[in-house]
Amino acid sequence: MYFYSSLGYLLWILSIKLGTGDLAKYPFLNEASNYIRDTHFDFEELNRPEIEHIIYRAAKKIDVEITKGIIYEELEKYEVEILTFLITLIMVKSIGLELVLKKHSLLEAIRAEKFLIEDLKREKNQQKRRLLLFKIFEDLFKFKVDIDSENHQLFKVKVTDYLERAVQFHEQEWKLINRLVHKGYVYLDADETVRLIRSELSTLIYNRVKSMTFSSLPKAIKSRVDELSIKFKPMYEVRRIYTTTDYPPCIKHALDVMAIGENLSHSGRVMLATYMLAIGKSVEEVSALFHKAPDYNEETTRYQVEHLAGSRGSRIKYSVPSCKKLLNENLCFATEKCNGIINPIQFGRNK
Amino acid sequence: MINTNPTEKSLSIVKSAFREYYFKHSKNIEAPLRIEEREFGYMQFGSGMVRHIVFRNVGEILAVLVRDIPSDVYCSNAYYVFPSYPMQEKQWKGADLIFDIDSKDLCLSCEPTHSYFICINCGKISESKSEICLSCNTRRINRTSIPCNKCIHTLKKEVERLIDLLSGDLGIKEDAIQIYFSGNNGFHVHISDTEFHKLGSQARADIVGYLMGNSVMVESIGVRKGPEGFFIKFPKSGLAYGWRKRIACELGISQSSILKLSKMVQQKGGYDEFRTELIKTVRDLGVRIDPHVTIDIHRVFRMAGTLNSKSGLTKKRCHDLKSFDPLNDACLLGDKEIDMEIKARVKLRLKGQIFNLKKQNTRLPMYAAVYLICKGLASAN
Ligand code: SF4
Ligand SMILES: [Zn+2]
Ligand SMILES: [Zn+2]
Repeated sequence: MYFYSSLGYLLWILSIKLGTGDLAKYPFLNEASNYIRDTHFDFEELNRPEIEHIIYRAAKKIDVEITKGIIYEELEKYEVEILTFLITLIMVKSIGLELVLKKHSLLEAIRAEKFLIEDLKREKNQQKRRLLLFKIFEDLFKFKVDIDSENHQLFKVKVTDYLERAVQFHEQEWKLINRLVHKGYVYLDADETVRLIRSELSTLIYNRVKSMTFSSLPKAIKSRVDELSIKFKPMYEVRRIYTTTDYPPCIKHALDVMAIGENLSHSGRVMLATYMLAIGKSVEEVSALFHKAPDYNEETTRYQVEHLAGSRGSRIKYSVPSCKKLLNENLCFATEKCNGIINPIQFGRNK
Repeated sequence: MINTNPTEKSLSIVKSAFREYYFKHSKNIEAPLRIEEREFGYMQFGSGMVRHIVFRNVGEILAVLVRDIPSDVYCSNAYYVFPSYPMQEKQWKGADLIFDIDSKDLCLSCEPTHSYFICINCGKISESKSEICLSCNTRRINRTSIPCNKCIHTLKKEVERLIDLLSGDLGIKEDAIQIYFSGNNGFHVHISDTEFHKLGSQARADIVGYLMGNSVMVESIGVRKGPEGFFIKFPKSGLAYGWRKRIACELGISQSSILKLSKMVQQKGGYDEFRTELIKTVRDLGVRIDPHVTIDIHRVFRMAGTLNSKSGLTKKRCHDLKSFDPLNDACLLGDKEIDMEIKARVKLRLKGQIFNLKKQNTRLPMYAAVYLICKGLASAN
């Protein structure tokens, strides 16, 4: 089987419906993965010299994501993108570090998000916009999104579908009351609509990787994987300082969010940092907690933590927000053990 | 019951009235949908709560009602795989969306004129609010209230406002909304639209916030913080519906009133002042529901058709809210005469009868006798 030609044929069929450019941007679509399943392609094909630059590109993409925490924005022609996507998945799987997988899945989702927002905003062909909405929201996530009949820049989603997804965001603007709600629908712009599926998209990619099985790696990929593993292992073997202590539920939740490389809201970070400082952790230890955040930047994080600790600027030491405040910010996950306390710092004290 | 230590005699009157009701009015008991997936619980007179019970049909429920004569009967709004297991093992499948409108949350101006404060320790009844019992100096005081026509009218208005929001904004169809009189001082609204079953506590809390008018941001109507204090930029989705429309109406603005809104904010004193005021306005426009009832997806909730031991009235479906009169339509106990001792001055209307009572011994029909015993304001002689 000649790799390029059979792939080319399939992509050509797909591109009749969605443009080839779309498949390059959304390589996780069912169409693309069906191809990978249906063609039973031989892993050895990946040792071919013409694939080499794609392997290189995949490795670079993972490297940028993991070490810099930013998405790899470069967009190539679709054959290259789909193969890059596939090879990155194979590599991430082989590296075998959970946090690398989490971060990659998230960044891949954010990357697709950018393209999708662009497409939904700029695409003039309504048919095409509808097809994209269908392929991505409905086909992948059983989430029905319609274009508003009056204003084509607006999208309408069912209140219940909205609520199920929006509760993961802690910012006030996502509260239903701050949305345009009418007759069971919430009206959103392209950015907001797409933002709603970020975690589903990253879970999808995560699961794709988890369910992959292959017995041996092609040589060409193996050497890259080894390089990356050596580079990443020490980054993720940080002491897990929090596993044994009994932290209050709000803090545990925040740590869980951080641990999977998800984004924690600003107030969530303030809570986590002030709490950790209050129980005696150092600025270094506290900054390290944020190291897995998708938008981690060592300098600014350290600066902010120092600020909260009072060792910078105003020299005011910030105290841990009260339970009441945290409840208002949707950061409280109270259990029975929280009875009678008004600040997380009191949790588990009198026992 | 409000009265924590009713006399033997009073208790037996209430029990026999309840027994008679469950015999005669068994058709009032509304079997909830998907009955076998729900948890039931009941309270017995003078003892605790029995929970984690399952029934397969309404017949089984009735059997327990006439055998045990519970003071209050509850049913989960949640559906479980194993409803009779302990809480952690039940496996939640979904829950009806429910709302509770209670006069205690409405802060009615008439409330003080028909409230009573009963000392749990010595039984002294006072008509004016005090933290300490004037005869025994203890601080354990129970409050009870005899709702008046105004209370009922206001409660109904609140229910209507809730329904408006539920149907107009959340798009819930009228036939998916069931209204019940709670059996005491309020109404319960049950939503049977299965779309909402899957929602967890947090999503429900968001709905509650929406209905109550909490956490509104001035940005959602276009007032934004800027380098020179504030500026106006209307949201892309406009102001045409829902809360935005309500706020726009209240302020008298529309999508074309940038200048007007800008002036308004300036007049209030700027972004922060305008914000504080808007938050208050929106709260006042919101519906006053009990948030906990809606957010808790594991609670057991009073079952329709059963009696409420705080009053002896029935939790009853209102097919037509406008004409529904709880003090008549939900008062279903018998009218055998009972010798009673009335412990406070009370005015009361039940089953179309007006009772103007002072501290006295008198004969009352069973339904009124039970009502006053449950309220802690009388005992059987
Ligand atoms: S009650 Fe306080 S300590 Fe407990 S989870 Fe909520 S905020 Fe944290
Ligand atoms: Zn007393
Ligand atoms: Zn009243």
